[in-house]
Formats: sequence, C-alpha cells, structure tokens
Amino acid sequence: MSIRNRAAIVGIGQTEFSKDSGRSTLRMALECILEALDDAGLRPKDVDGIVKMRANDDFFEIDLMRSLGMENLRYFNEIPHGGGAACGTVASAVAAVASGMADVVVTFRSLNERSERRFGESSAGGGVGGWMQYYLPHGLVTPAQWVAIFAQRYLHEFGHTTEALGLVSVLVRKHAATNPHAMMYEKPVTMEDHQNSRWIAEPLRLLDCTLDTDGACAAIVVSAEKAKRLEEEGRREKEEGRQEQVRGEEIERGYRGQSPMTGGSGGVPPTSLSRGGWEGGGDRGRGKAVYIGAAAQGTGSRTEMMTSYQRKSLAKLEEAEATARELYRQAEMTPADIGMAQVYDHFTPFVLMALEAYGFAGPGEAPRLFREGRVELDGDLPLNTHGGHLGEGYLHGFGHIVEAVRQLRGTAVNQVPGVKTCLVTSGTGVPTSGLILAAEV
Amino acid sequence: MAEVVRPWPLADRDTGPFWEAQNRHELAFQRCAKCAHVRYPVGPTCPECLSFDFEWVQSSGRGEVYSYTVVQHQTHPAFSVPYTVVLAEMEEGPRVIAQLRGPEGARPEIGAKVRVEWEDGPHQALPVFVLDSGQRTS
Repeated sequence: MSIRNRAAIVGIGQTEFSKDSGRSTLRMALECILEALDDAGLRPKDVDGIVKMRANDDFFEIDLMRSLGMENLRYFNEIPHGGGAACGTVASAVAAVASGMADVVVTFRSLNERSERRFGESSAGGGVGGWMQYYLPHGLVTPAQWVAIFAQRYLHEFGHTTEALGLVSVLVRKHAATNPHAMMYEKPVTMEDHQNSRWIAEPLRLLDCTLDTDGACAAIVVSAEKAKRLEEEGRREKEEGRQEQVRGEEIERGYRGQSPMTGGSGGVPPTSLSRGGWEGGGDRGRGKAVYIGAAAQGTGSRTEMMTSYQRKSLAKLEEAEATARELYRQAEMTPADIGMAQVYDHFTPFVLMALEAYGFAGPGEAPRLFREGRVELDGDLPLNTHGGHLGEGYLHGFGHIVEAVRQLRGTAVNQVPGVKTCLVTSGTGVPTSGLILAAEV
Repeated sequence: MAEVVRPWPLADRDTGPFWEAQNRHELAFQRCAKCAHVRYPVGPTCPECLSFDFEWVQSSGRGEVYSYTVVQHQTHPAFSVPYTVVLAEMEEGPRVIAQLRGPEGARPEIGAKVRVEWEDGPHQALPVFVLDSGQRTS
C-alpha cells in the first residue's frame, strides 16, 4: 500500500517575516492558521488534528485549541529534531488523514526567533548533559560550529574552495531579491560579497548562515477525496456568488486591523500571500489543492543531533539519502521527474550535500548545478524560488512548504511556468524529512 | 567582566566512568567484552553485537585531524575567539572533539598527527589536542 496522492494540502497561510513581529508566537500561529483554513474553505470547527514541530515552542496544541474555541482533537502529535521536522509534520498529517484517524489536520511553525529566542543560541554556562556533554565543554556550542565540521570535510574531500558555498548564497539571495515578502527583498549579493563577509566558524561565513526571523506559516492537510470535495464546493459557492460574503466574514473576524503588515502597507489582504503572492491581489477563489506524492522521514547511521561525527563519511548526508530513497519509492519517481526543489538552507554546505543526496548531482558535484544555471528560475531544477532561509526568512523549513504549494498552484511571486512537481526538504544534520508535491494527480 | 566558567559535562549513569577517567587524564573508550568493538560516544550496549558487557580501555591519545573549524564569531562568553576545534580520528577508531592548542586560530592540515594533552578545570579535566612535532598549521 502506498500513500502516494492519498492526501493533499488545501490551504496555506503566512504572516509577514520581520526582525520583530511585535506579537506572540501563539497569535501569529492563529493568524496564519485562520488564513490557511480560509484558503481551504474550512473553519476551525472542521479541524480534528494538529501536528507541530517540537523545538523551541512557547505553546502547545491545546493553546491553539482553546484560542480557536475547539473542544476536541482526535489526532495530535509533535515531531522532534528542530528543522528536520518541518515536512515530518505534514508526513504525520498524511498518515492521519489517509488512515481515517483525522479529517482535517493543521501543521504550522511560528517563531519570534529574531526578537525573542534564537534557535542557535548557546547556553550561558553551567553543566551540560545528554549529547551536548561531549561538545559544549570544548567550545563547539552552536549549529554553525557543528555544521562547520561537516563542511570542512566536504570541501576537503572534493577539493572545493568556499566559493562552492558562495554559489548557494548568491543564487538564493537572487531569488529573495525579487520576493517582496523576503527579509532580503531587493538585496542581492555577489560572490565578492560572500567572500568578503566575515567568518563565523570556518569554513562558514556570515552569508553561509541562515537569517533569524519572526513569522509564522501554516498548511492544512486533508485526504485527496476531501480535497476534491472542497474544490467542488468552492466551485459551487463561486457560482452561487456566496464566496465573497463568506470570506469577508472570515477576514472581518480574524484579521481586521491586526496585522502590522496589512495595516502598515495599505490594505493588502492577508490572503493575497497564499493566493497570489504580493502581486496577485484580486479574488482567485478558494486555493487549489496540491497533492502529496510522497511524505517521509529519514535518519542515518550513528545519528546524533547535528554531531553525527562517527559516521563513515562526513561528506554526505545519510539522513537525506534515506529520505530521498523513501520519497522516490513512494512517489514512483526518480530525480529526473522533479520539476523544482525547495531545499532547507540553514547553512550553504548542507544545500550542496542535500542536492547530492536527493540525486540531482553526484558526490561533490552539486556546485555544477549552480555554475551551469540549472537551479535558476529558468533552469531544469529551480531552487528555493522564494529566497529560502538565507533570503526570505528562517521558518525552520515551513516557508519552503508554503512556497512549494504556491508554485504548484501557479501563484508564486517568482513563478516558474507550468511546474508540476516539487521536492521539499527539511533540516539536515539531524533526523530529517521531505515531501514530493504534485500540482495534479 | 568576570570570567565565565566554561560549561562542563554533567556525568550520567552511563558516562560517569568516562569523565572520571578524564579527571585522571585518561581518554577512555568502551570495548565490547564479547566482540571487542570499540564504541564512542558512551552507551549501554554494543551496537555491533548488542552485548551489555564491556571494559574501559585507555586510548593511546594519538590520532589524526579528520576535520576542524576555526571559530571566529563569539557565541559563548566563556570561549574567546578565535579558537580551533578539531575532530580527530583516534588510533582506536572513534573520532573525538577537542580544542587545538598552539597559535590562536591555527588551521591544521587535515590528516595532521595530533596527540592529547590535559587541562584541568574547576569541574572537569578535559583533553586538548596538540600537533605532533613537525606538523604545520596555516
């Protein structure tokens, strides 16, 4: 039995991304969840499942429930290991709706990572237990430093210079530069900028490291059958001319005057982000369903949280290789079937290694994808079309999921014409996850 | 600014003997009593044969630089930059993280020979690596 195309993402929501949201992570989660439900043509009372990421949260699913006036959840779950969990929340939701354990599952990520608590922040001192006891006392205290050990070995084994890392930075920032939602909108960088940016932990420079971001994203998962019913209902409502009124009520109730972004920029409706990007404006009706061709988690040998240094090779990402195998098996696809990729870009070297793990280049050969223009918007594998963590904002991989849905709906700012399939990957260096999404089945 | 004490390991019921050995300036690994597999980090079972029985063996303290980073951006008050952290592959097999002593911010060559020396702290003695004589940094 396969879960291929048995579930779909029917709604997405996203707040603005900023350095200081000015509001709680709970509130931002509620804003984007309501937007996503509205996008799907659903209401909070329809939700019976919530799956969240485990790391660094200020609230639980019960806080969302209480805030939304919900009385019961049939399915709730938390996926561990930081940014590796993003697509894993969707995978868990797929399992729930495909098995009938839930009907409508909310997945989301909400962070005040820039203004409140940073993910990569080191502890101030004291005794450290668990896996950290082997690393923190030696001054290896942040994700950038843990990843640098892998990165140095990768560059060494394949004879690359740090310009290989700069290729990722320049490409992703280029895409962010044309995305008005991105923190680095209209701020492209050159290879010279990359090479001149200050060292963080060699071989990583500032421009190899993710931004820190305040913001939230949500995605609603239902069964494929329900997705088709929702689309049919949407069409019928539109014919009956009721849709404007329903949505008007939702916006009135959920958002009016509450979002600094919409309040400050003069009336861009919140739904425009998921429906039509910033340029989309107008009424496109209920969001189109995007089908989940594959959803998987994966790990590797001798796995630790970001410090799997006992593995045979540190020049590859075993967890991404394992996830890739399972995704292609489920989707009955090969890398050649993938039309675009949204690859988790916390640190540039792991983008190169992920592209190799997912089969788009041989070992050490991912830099060629950049040099040959294949990952540009007009290439055969457009990459991180929204500007990724390095340019749009760091939502622990959830921005990548939302962008994949927009691209497959044809509503992205940096839209790739006619794209049919998109790979989405989550954080690497930790147990990870991924999705293959399809525009239609 | 008052000097901040470096974070120190909190030993647990598995790792206690490992840290006690370090306080005696010994780098110790577990060796499976059944199949002789040497394992690290510390754990209750042999991942090769699943035996719970093991003995502590002392490392020669010699290894090679497998990878490293020079930390340039300070993220912790107890660690002044620049400093070099080495992942060394020890002769017994396990790879161990420790700071490199020598010129500040030195970049060792991958493959360079290193040996363990010891530094005592208020809570825990920890190993550091030094390059064996004749090895260069850049």
